[in-house]
Amino acid sequence: MCVDDQLLNTYLDQELKEPWKTQVEEHLSYCNACRLRLSALQEIQNRLASATLNDDEIAPSKERVLTYFEKNRFSGESTKQLFWHKRVQVKLMPAILTSAAAFVVVFIASFVLFSSNPEQRQEILPGVADPIDSTHIRQVSDAPRPSLDSFSLEQIINHLDKLGYAVKLELKAITPLE
Amino acid sequence: MEIQSNDERAFRGVYEEVFPIIMRVAYHVTNNRDLAEEICQEAFIRFFDKGMLFPSSDDAKYWLIRVTKNLAINQVKRKVREQGMVEKLKQMPTSRANTTDGEHVLIREETRAEVQEAISQLPEKFRLVIVMKEYTDMGYREIAEVLRISESNVKVRVHRARKMLESILNRE
Repeated sequence: MCVDDQLLNTYLDQELKEPWKTQVEEHLSYCNACRLRLSALQEIQNRLASATLNDDEIAPSKERVLTYFEKNRFSGESTKQLFWHKRVQVKLMPAILTSAAAFVVVFIASFVLFSSNPEQRQEILPGVADPIDSTHIRQVSDAPRPSLDSFSLEQIINHLDKLGYAVKLELKAITPLE
Repeated sequence: MEIQSNDERAFRGVYEEVFPIIMRVAYHVTNNRDLAEEICQEAFIRFFDKGMLFPSSDDAKYWLIRVTKNLAINQVKRKVREQGMVEKLKQMPTSRANTTDGEHVLIREETRAEVQEAISQLPEKFRLVIVMKEYTDMGYREIAEVLRISESNVKVRVHRARKMLESILNRE
């Protein structure tokens, strides 16, 4: 009995195991029809194989795709480090941004609150009023009561004149000329 | 030896061995060399970005072939949907033909076109098996593992695919 196509295909693919392989080979040694059929199957396989892309045809694609990875994936250092680095970046970025923002606020506030130089303060934050401190606050009740020293001689004379007094001024040790 | 897919050295080793294999699989399934290159790139991007650990380089290879096969099939289905007919997929990839020997190249391109045409007429399950059998270095057991079917199923499909191809090629 001749060998069927499926068995011949399996034999052709070198996938036929013993003892069937030896039996098929024995049969092929004397059966011309099966040898021809095997040749026909071999011919189909050869035609398919001839349609494949050879290494030279694949090489440009292989090079292009590898270049993509060299540009976009490989870091030149260990890839594990790259991924670790990425994870750290993702987790730290919000914290770093928050810290930076806090630092800026403290830095500016220190100038505003503790700077002794108003010009510098105005330069940094124009429009911000001088801070309230001991030099800018004075209790109203502690203000000195007005005394004669608070007024000029002219003011005093004018005041007395308005009240109807005649004022005559003399300086000590000076006698007016007659 | 274990393979960490996002380790550059391991990646390069796998790439060197597997790229030609998946390029051929993608090309013979889609019948388009540019598309095949894109599919290979996508397969390797997934391979790298997932950062998987494979027990061996063979496991990494099977994974890549499986992904390539799925991407290629999806592309074919998408193209068929978009274009409404299979014929538009069967374009001759002549743009990058090697021109060192004009006549030889022409004959080979004609043969290639005939074979590709015949393969594209096969139902998907036969097409995948015969492409893997003829254009990769894999045996029945490995093909079975990639396609997640039994080895005897692979054997039957190879036989039936060759029978269909014989019929198509001899008719032309």
